[in-house]
Amino acid sequence: MEMKRSAQAERPARTARTGGAVSRGAPAGMPALCRTALSAFTLAALATLAAAGPARAQTDPRVLEIIDEVDRLMRGESSSGLMRMEIDTEHWSRALEMRIWSLGTEHSLVRVESPAREAGTATLMVENEVWNYLPNVDRTIKVPPSMMLGSWMGSHFTNDDLVKESRLIEDYDIVISHEGPRDGQDVWEFTLTPKPDAPVIWGRIEQQIRKGDRMPIWARYFDEDGTLVRTMNFSGFQVMGGRTLPTRMVMEPTDGEERTVVTYLELEFDVGLDEDFFSLRNLRARR
Amino acid sequence: MPKHDGDIWRRIAWRNLWRNRRRTVITASALSFAFAAAVLMIALMDGMLEEMVSNGTRVVTGQVQIHAQNYDPERSIHDTMGGRGGLDVAALMDAVDAVGGVTGAAPRVYGGGLVSTGDESAGAVLMGMDPAREEGVSRFGAALVEGRMPGPGEIAIGADMAESLGVGTGGEVVLVAPAADGSTGNELFAVSGIFSLGMGGFDETFALLDMGSLQDLVAMDRDRIHEVAIAVERTGDAEAVADRVEEAVAGLSEGLLTEPWSVFQARLYFVTSLAAAMNTMIAVMIFGMAVFGVANTMLLATFERRREFAVARALGTSGGAIMRIVVIEGLFLGLVSLAAGAALAVPVVVYFHEFPLDLSRFVGTYSMMGSAVRPVLTAEYSWDGPLVSALALVATGIVSALYPAWRTLRVPPADALAGR
Amino acid sequence: MKTRYPTLVRLALRNLGRELRRSALTAAAMALGLALLIVSRTLSDGAHEDWIEAGVRLGEGHLVFNAAGYRDSESLEDHLSPDQVAASVAAAGLSELPGGEVNSVRIAARGLASSADGAMPAWILGVDPDVELIFSELGADVLEGRYLQQGDRLHAFIGQGMATRLGLRIGSRMVLTAQVAEGGIEGQLVRVVGLFRTGADELDDALVHIPLATAQSWLGVDGATSVATLLPHSAFTRQVVEQATAALARAGVDVTGWEESTPDLYSAVKMDDAGDWVFHFILFAIVALAILNAVFMSVLHRKREFGLLRALGLSARDTGLIVFIEGVLLTAASGVIGVSLGFALVWVFFRNGLDLSEMMPPDLTFGGIVFDPVLYPVIEVKHLTQSLFFTAVIGLSASVYPAWQAAALDPAESVKVE
Repeated sequence: MEMKRSAQAERPARTARTGGAVSRGAPAGMPALCRTALSAFTLAALATLAAAGPARAQTDPRVLEIIDEVDRLMRGESSSGLMRMEIDTEHWSRALEMRIWSLGTEHSLVRVESPAREAGTATLMVENEVWNYLPNVDRTIKVPPSMMLGSWMGSHFTNDDLVKESRLIEDYDIVISHEGPRDGQDVWEFTLTPKPDAPVIWGRIEQQIRKGDRMPIWARYFDEDGTLVRTMNFSGFQVMGGRTLPTRMVMEPTDGEERTVVTYLELEFDVGLDEDFFSLRNLRARR
Repeated sequence: MPKHDGDIWRRIAWRNLWRNRRRTVITASALSFAFAAAVLMIALMDGMLEEMVSNGTRVVTGQVQIHAQNYDPERSIHDTMGGRGGLDVAALMDAVDAVGGVTGAAPRVYGGGLVSTGDESAGAVLMGMDPAREEGVSRFGAALVEGRMPGPGEIAIGADMAESLGVGTGGEVVLVAPAADGSTGNELFAVSGIFSLGMGGFDETFALLDMGSLQDLVAMDRDRIHEVAIAVERTGDAEAVADRVEEAVAGLSEGLLTEPWSVFQARLYFVTSLAAAMNTMIAVMIFGMAVFGVANTMLLATFERRREFAVARALGTSGGAIMRIVVIEGLFLGLVSLAAGAALAVPVVVYFHEFPLDLSRFVGTYSMMGSAVRPVLTAEYSWDGPLVSALALVATGIVSALYPAWRTLRVPPADALAGR
Repeated sequence: MKTRYPTLVRLALRNLGRELRRSALTAAAMALGLALLIVSRTLSDGAHEDWIEAGVRLGEGHLVFNAAGYRDSESLEDHLSPDQVAASVAAAGLSELPGGEVNSVRIAARGLASSADGAMPAWILGVDPDVELIFSELGADVLEGRYLQQGDRLHAFIGQGMATRLGLRIGSRMVLTAQVAEGGIEGQLVRVVGLFRTGADELDDALVHIPLATAQSWLGVDGATSVATLLPHSAFTRQVVEQATAALARAGVDVTGWEESTPDLYSAVKMDDAGDWVFHFILFAIVALAILNAVFMSVLHRKREFGLLRALGLSARDTGLIVFIEGVLLTAASGVIGVSLGFALVWVFFRNGLDLSEMMPPDLTFGGIVFDPVLYPVIEVKHLTQSLFFTAVIGLSASVYPAWQAAALDPAESVKVE
């Protein structure tokens, strides 16, 4: 919904034609935030991998087994919860608390609870589309395609991050690059390399996953030159809503001191939502 | 020679001039017309360039701008003048207004956001401004095709944006803009007017708001602005005015950068320089032809006077004296001609300066020009150009008169009389 | 008395030869004036053709074929089918122009270009590399890398501005995202093969060339959104537009000339043309006055001579004719000399183009393809004819006056010693 800083007050002559936003450090192609989070953060690779199509030859069959396993755990979930998002940028810091609902990978709804000034602001994501409800003016606005790569709620996630149907298994060849102990834990490390024609911007993604409970530890995103562009770290592993999950996720672009931290405060699964819940009418409703 | 010598030569020269009235009128007409043409040409070329720069700078940007030093090229909403703390805007405007050559100055706040009717949305550059001050700098007010400039809680948008959003004057739009504190500003605004600048996408992407309303929307204090756009009397003086403005505002805040249009409108500067170079080419040709016309006429006139010089010579006048008469005659002729030329050119220049020639009918039916861009040919006043032309033309006249005279004096009077 | 033209011509020639200096000076005014008119018109016509050419090459050609409704909707749904593309190309060739036309079959889409560093709006063109190399000529002046080639698939040729802002180099991975014909949003991977710089931000920051086939499969368009046609000269535009429009009347294809597709350019050219008219009018006027002055001056000093001719028995009519013939001969000679001199000047000084950058402020480091400071003269037959016609009219009408003077004067009066 929001244009990134650099788009603001562009030099008129230039804006005239190009007019748009450059979003720094919030690239597409990462797993969806909410879904990710809600699916117990198995997200980083796993939940999203699960959503993907049949495997290809280059991907290590063992990876597919792990994915299948997680897929069985996650399929067809509905969930609801409360999350806190803290954003630190060069110019400001803020914290939001949001109530969240989701169904599978295609439907989710987020409503801001605090700060009071923004309470009621809501985002609805259905398949590839994003709507925002603005209580201040009582209007619902669909995010136009040109704004999909803009920042979501001022965070380091883009609107696109929220809805991008993650197709990691279609887009990447995944191999286990390391298996065994690291810092005292038994882990897998996956290296994801884009398939030749895959429309993804990353040169490489690396993920570390705890063997014992299939929990992600971190995901690192590299450009083609092998430069680390951003990192996601997972922590706060605990049981919530009856499942073990990382309740804290930190997203840090490599350049600068900025970060977005998402923490889950409450989470419940199988809450009995159906697709009708994710409607524009519900987007507006204050509850 | 006697003392009152010079006086006599002058009298003889003056009398010579009027002895053959028709010849004098013809040569004088050549000179005066050449001078008039040169003056008119210089005025029109200056006018054309001035108009080009005006169309590029008087519509939106102004000819001088003040920003925070790090504002360009990112133009971040956070890089306000005077840093995060801002500055005393009233004092700044007073300081700018007091600078000589400044005819208008307008403070501005910029933001980026979405203008939406709910169904349709458009990305926009939001410009917060003071309508009264904008009048002296930009042409938004003049470019309104309906409604008026926005007051608090109102917005004026371009015609193209209005069309794509399907909204008109009196309609309501939502503005959604990332604010300086990280929140998302959103507010309803009433469309107070629609403008059509007709150039460079402004009508598609620009939206004007009351400055205070935009500052509220993007959570910025009233002390924080991004830009002061300044209009100067003559675009050619922008550099000098920029220097003076820089000095005047230096004490008010750290890190202010003052730039003339040739810096922030580098492309316009390039294009006008290209046009100026092209004009110079044509000017050289026109002036060359004018000089040639004068020289030609003078040569013809003086060659025809070989007999006369020879007779004078035979009667005992020295060669030097004849040359002297020719020079003095040339000077008189020059002065008379310049006066006549000026009398011919000045009214035309003044007329075109006051009532620029409207070229819109040459531009034809496809014209996309909005009301802000004037397709006109206007004349600008200047001194140095006409002065140089005057000197050059008179010098040409005298030299081209001297040459035949000198040729005549080289042969014995008898031969000259015989036409050899 | 019977008029003996050969004799009169001989007399006129002798008169001109006797006062060679005067004749030369009068002729010089005419010849130089004509030469300058030619040089100056040639240069301004060259400037305008340069503008138009740069504009249409980087824009949509001298004329562009679109599916009906596309120019309003700019939607991929309103694209040309392969049959319509073929019909458009055929229609563009109907006029059989010397030099031929170049047809660029293109798919245009607005979208986003993203890299690991960020994203920005993009104007994406799917093109045929071989055609586009001679059409837009963007590939002729590659800043880095190379232009697209036949056989390229996931390749993109982008502007320097975009490369800088997205942190892209040759070989870098970049994802283009746009709404496809079916309505969904789809991404397409491409790799940067080369960079251009035009000097125009709206191109350098946004324009992306990719192979046509890649665009077709990505965006789900089997034909193209437009066929842009480049003609040997802008003057042919109207003719070709009219013929193509007539040929495609029932094909659901719209034909648009450059004046309409790039109205800003058209206005700029027209405005400058109007300005040029004023300057050329001034130049015309000076030339005319120089000629008139020369003629008046000679009439003034030839009264005696005219009187003698009359006294020797020539009729008033013959005397007048002699003087008029002198004028005609002088004008003709000046015309030939003037045109040759004009062309010679153009050839000697400007055949390699006139580099205006030497006349511009030295601190300017702008430039690029769009703003080429080198001016190439163009000889427009229409304007050349105008200049010739004008000089001839002035020369001939200036000859009438002395002829009339010669015929009308009183022989007795004129031979008096002054």
